[in-house]
Amino acid sequence: MDILFIAKILLVIALIIMMLVTLRASAYKSTSMGLLGSSVIVNAFAVALLIIGELHNLQFYRDISLALIFFGFVGTVAFAVVLGGNDE
Amino acid sequence: MIEYVQAILLIIAAVLTIISAVGLLSLGKNTRNKVYARIHIVGLFDIACIIAMIGLGQYLLAGVYFILAPFTAHAIANAYWKKEDRENNMDLMTVEEEVDENHPFIHPKEKMQALESEDSEKLKTDDRFSVTTIEINEDE
Repeated sequence: MDILFIAKILLVIALIIMMLVTLRASAYKSTSMGLLGSSVIVNAFAVALLIIGELHNLQFYRDISLALIFFGFVGTVAFAVVLGGNDE
Repeated sequence: MIEYVQAILLIIAAVLTIISAVGLLSLGKNTRNKVYARIHIVGLFDIACIIAMIGLGQYLLAGVYFILAPFTAHAIANAYWKKEDRENNMDLMTVEEEVDENHPFIHPKEKMQALESEDSEKLKTDDRFSVTTIEINEDE
């Protein structure tokens, strides 16, 4: 088998493990931890989408991945600003 | 040759991802500042994602992610510090000063205030060295 193919599969497995671990970590009592977890899951999914799109010759996977990364960032920062409140 | 470089980059990213996953789980139950520690660990995962994107040939995505990831981490840490951390741990707002008593130049604030107050022992001892003047009558 091609070494590049094996490396891609390994990375996808590592990303899936990371997503599961982040789900577990998001159950921490703090709201910020949930915010961090959702951010990590979105980014991990975007990278996994890049790999799967290359493996299966899907179209538009790059655009979807870019949208996930960019809007994930916007959503996380917006929620963090609301969570932080105004300066005293 | 390029395939090997790509494969190595992807494997490095996979290893970093596993390390960050283990780090996220391995923090103890009573660890202080757990959220900040986890934000720090997620920084490692961000770099792993950037390496993976470079390995996949998506340089634009890697650049965008490289710029955006610190903003996300800082926003989450800032929100946590401003609300949850301050409200749940009020002792964070009190600053304890540790000053060495024998330090020749740095003295504790309370000690200096006690010295400067009017009824301090230091001022009383200084009265021993009060200056006396001789009164001279011109008539004599």
